[in-house]
Amino acid sequence: MERRAILDELKKVLYPYTEEKEQLQNIDENTALVKDLKINSANLVDIIIDAEAKYNIEIDFDSAEKIISVGDCINAIAEKIPE
Amino acid sequence: MSTGNDRSTGNDIVALAATDEDRTSRPRFYSRILTPAELSLYDELTGEGLSFSSFVWLMWSIKESVYKYVSRAEPGLRFAPLKIPVTSLRRREDHYSGMIGYGPLTLYSRTFLADETIMTVVSAQEDFSNVHWGLRRIENPDYSTQSALVRTFALQSLSMVLPGAELRIIKSPDGPPEVWDGEHRLHMPLSLAHHGPYVAWSYRLPANSSSYRKSAANRAASSHLRRVNLLEITGLKRSCSSCEYSS
Repeated sequence: MERRAILDELKKVLYPYTEEKEQLQNIDENTALVKDLKINSANLVDIIIDAEAKYNIEIDFDSAEKIISVGDCINAIAEKIPE
Repeated sequence: MSTGNDRSTGNDIVALAATDEDRTSRPRFYSRILTPAELSLYDELTGEGLSFSSFVWLMWSIKESVYKYVSRAEPGLRFAPLKIPVTSLRRREDHYSGMIGYGPLTLYSRTFLADETIMTVVSAQEDFSNVHWGLRRIENPDYSTQSALVRTFALQSLSMVLPGAELRIIKSPDGPPEVWDGEHRLHMPLSLAHHGPYVAWSYRLPANSSSYRKSAANRAASSHLRRVNLLEITGLKRSCSSCEYSS
């Protein structure tokens, strides 16, 4: 799955957790979840679990700890999706 | 045992209405926050009337507070709750007191619970000397309002401790908030938190700040700020003269 396609799907995962709905449509891999999208840190576990459910994958703890930006999310998902 | 440096502060707040109790209670969720050893702390609290989901968020708030405390000296540190071990948790009269061993640091936490909110403050000193904190409920919980009002309320609190100072809070995008008096940055660590309709702050006065505290006490007596026992607002109780809860 291409990173661009993952990013588009990721917008749906992030949607319930950000007030920045307009900015969400224009995110790129450098967009920070907390700093730019104003997502509360208490929702970061929700986002990981929602992404796992969406792609039927399991994101390990090490990968989850690295998630700060949209690009980090895509990395964590891409490495678990079968080629 | 090392008490680490005392040049930082860290706090966190969780608005329980903004959490999902059912999801929080699933292993898939809480196993990303709590180690098996920490789960056993809940068993030791049996009979305290604390729901499991509240326990999970209590522990989260401790870990987030520790992260804020530590990241002041370690910019770029990533929040990894499983790597912040809470080693003990005890019920006190009006709060839960915890101990955290983070590398060479030993930190202490105080967590206040109500039906609607969980608030934690951490300190390197077990008696929380010179640590001040507060909580306010706000009407509009959007991010920009939370962000603006938590600064306003923190400044109100600081102005009681430092009367006459030209206080400002400056926060760089990637750094912790700083307290400035005019053009001078004060060595007074400040931590801000907001979630849902709650905002909270903590700060630590310098160890030689007895004159500050005296001033604060004098001003508090004549303050026009409406101070309300949090019990009336959220069910929380005041725990010491350093905390303030207002609506």
